[in-house]
Amino acid sequence: MTKHLEIRLSGSGGQGLLLSARILAQAFASEGASVSQSQSYEPTSRGGLSRADLVIDGVRPDFPLAEKLDYLLVLHQCAAGASDEIINDDMTALIDSELVTEPPAGKFKVKALPLTRTAREIGNVRIANIVALGALAGLSRMIDRERLEDTVRKGVPPKFLDLNLEALEAGYRLAEESRDN
Amino acid sequence: MNEISADSFDINEYLRLELFPHFLCPGCGHGMAMRAMLWAVAELGIDKDNLAIVSGIGCSGRMGAYVDANTFHVTHGRPLAFATGLKLARPDLTVIVITGDGDSLAIGGNHLIHACRRNLDITCLMLNNEIYGMTGGQVSPTTTLTRFTTTTPYGNYEPAFDACRLAEAAGASFVGREATLQVPTLKNLIREGIEHKGFSFLEVISDCTEIYGRKNALGNSPEMVLSQKSKMRPESYGGLMSNKVDQPFRPNPFQTGVLARNERQEYGELCRRHIAAKQQAE
Amino acid sequence: MSKQRLQNIPGNHACALGAVAAGCRFYAGYPITPSSEVAERMSAELPKVGGMFVQMEDEIASMGAVIGASMGGVKAMTATSGPGFSLKQENLGYAAQAEIPCVIINVMRGGPSTGMPTRPAQGDIMQARWGTHGDHPIIVVAPDSVAEIYSETIRAFALSERLRVPVVVLYDEVVGHLIETVDLQPAPEEQLASRKWAEGPREGFLPYRADADMVPPFPRPGDGFRTHTTGLTHDENGFPTQAHERVEAVIGRLLGKLDRHKELIESYEAVGCEDAEVIVTAIGISARAAKKAVATARKNGIKAGLFRPITLWPFPEEAFRKLSAGASAVVVPEMNAGQLALELERFAPGKVSALTRYDGEHIDPSQILKRIEEVLS
Repeated sequence: MTKHLEIRLSGSGGQGLLLSARILAQAFASEGASVSQSQSYEPTSRGGLSRADLVIDGVRPDFPLAEKLDYLLVLHQCAAGASDEIINDDMTALIDSELVTEPPAGKFKVKALPLTRTAREIGNVRIANIVALGALAGLSRMIDRERLEDTVRKGVPPKFLDLNLEALEAGYRLAEESRDN
Repeated sequence: MNEISADSFDINEYLRLELFPHFLCPGCGHGMAMRAMLWAVAELGIDKDNLAIVSGIGCSGRMGAYVDANTFHVTHGRPLAFATGLKLARPDLTVIVITGDGDSLAIGGNHLIHACRRNLDITCLMLNNEIYGMTGGQVSPTTTLTRFTTTTPYGNYEPAFDACRLAEAAGASFVGREATLQVPTLKNLIREGIEHKGFSFLEVISDCTEIYGRKNALGNSPEMVLSQKSKMRPESYGGLMSNKVDQPFRPNPFQTGVLARNERQEYGELCRRHIAAKQQAE
Repeated sequence: MSKQRLQNIPGNHACALGAVAAGCRFYAGYPITPSSEVAERMSAELPKVGGMFVQMEDEIASMGAVIGASMGGVKAMTATSGPGFSLKQENLGYAAQAEIPCVIINVMRGGPSTGMPTRPAQGDIMQARWGTHGDHPIIVVAPDSVAEIYSETIRAFALSERLRVPVVVLYDEVVGHLIETVDLQPAPEEQLASRKWAEGPREGFLPYRADADMVPPFPRPGDGFRTHTTGLTHDENGFPTQAHERVEAVIGRLLGKLDRHKELIESYEAVGCEDAEVIVTAIGISARAAKKAVATARKNGIKAGLFRPITLWPFPEEAFRKLSAGASAVVVPEMNAGQLALELERFAPGKVSALTRYDGEHIDPSQILKRIEEVLS
């Protein structure tokens, strides 16, 4: 039976977090889980706080919105203070070590990884969302890796597939390396 | 299509006689406009079962009820919006919209320009009496400068629309104007409008004798109708209508006949082609 | 659930898919946040099934075109949000008066006026019932999940066609944009029927003479009935009347037909109401929060129940009265200043505790749980 999980991917508008959330949601759904995804966005298409929440469960939950996070991704400083009501000591936060200078405060586990820098090294800063997805999945082992890769394969345009798979791989590597530390 | 002489056209075949006498004022031009419209329908041999009349609110809007067809008397200013849905859903119907100057140029102005732009196969008859007759005679977007109405007690100082130029500029593929004086000429224009594949905008100068005529001492009904002719002088028009919009509409002359004809894609056809292409691709 | 059919889609897409499954073949609309995804999905889906999509010049025209298409005999729909819903009220009243079936989706955002376009609210509960002028019949359904948006949109068409009445599908921005894993089934056969078409002799046909079920058969243009349709108060023959004794009869039927079909229209979800000391009543995302709060309260030994109107208007009054009779309090969480609470006060006088919020944020289960505990202490 699927475990109840609450995940938030947050950052700045235009960082591609909604796409990462959609891929992750799709991967969970393909496992037979019930996924509830919600998002908040500013009226403009670029910039400003952007976040996507996933509530994963075996059956459709009574309440589909996040209340107590298990995982929080912060990809930009503007999102660091946006989750105060649902962060808690039991969760894990993954933050971008370069773009988030003041991480959210709390007794929870914090992993600061160079997600954006890694994306830049791969050759495209806009792929940081997928690096982050790989890192989060690697750290948490919340989803089967092959299933996630398969979902990326089905969900992104062929033209960008190699780049996306490389970014996902890089994210997993960052997670592994940080585990060794 | 076969010509029907004035004598042999039997309007009763197209009327809901049980509703008569009608409610229009004695001398109102709308009855003549209705005769011209039904005469055109008869000449075109349109089956009454497949004729839909959509009208708005106002004196013009009430006309539809007297026609023995599928008649829809809708909300103020919206007949073109309703007709757009009806014609798209039922391209097999001949759809005629009857509207007035207030209905189509004031409250319904937005619908008019977009109907012109889309070019759906609808014939729109705008009966222009320069006044809100049904509500007792208020100023309208086509009221001539200096004229008296119940809301211009010291004379109208607002410039008027030239509805035909508006329709043409907005993309109507057939635009024409006639007066109620010459019913056969008006009938011919309406017939051409219905035959035209696309949006036809037809302005009909249709006098309000009871309120507008009286308030402005324009004479009795026959006198008003006759002055339509003496002041029309279509040959004097070179197309510089813009100079005339801000001037008193009458006794200034106005242009009649077919004023614009553009061959454009009919909107319903475009829609159906779009759908067919998508269905083929599926 | 078959995994092949499982999909993650937002409420607004489920709405469009529900409409198409219900046989909707005409959509007219105007872009407005947070409902635009309904129009976008309809523009993609309708051509595939031979349906017409048209983006009109404004909200008023959209509603007019929808009614126009339905007057032609085609199932038709539009979608909007508060500001657009206000503009649609004029023609919505026409549909009620002339008895033209149509479905209107209203995805609620913060108001009044332009308000908060991207933030959720539930402030149109009363407007959905009383937005257009004059006494008029209207049905409003209020789904609370993506799956239910799909099934209620289908039911909205069924009710609208069956009863010749406009039906509003009312949900908030949260549910409209919420993505859930759903397994969409084809529309149930019994909900696919079109309106009852007029048949029999054309001579002397009275378009507004109702059958015993208080619903008149619909004369399809082209079938030879050549009837008159008007927004003026009209007699059975379709023509205007102001004779008071006729008006009483025809408006009486118009208002009475929903009462006659109450059983068909009414729908609600009741959880643990029988022995409940406190009942929570809510719609949309507030109902989802209520569901969790009630379940938590039960775990904590509190006798709490949930009464959720799925048909919001006419409100399932009898069921609510019966189920709430034994409770000492009714908690009403809603994202407005207390619209539903005001209505419930009529059925459970003195017991209602409104939990309101109108800052553009949803209500959390924990807030409802706290209020449940407070009203019992």
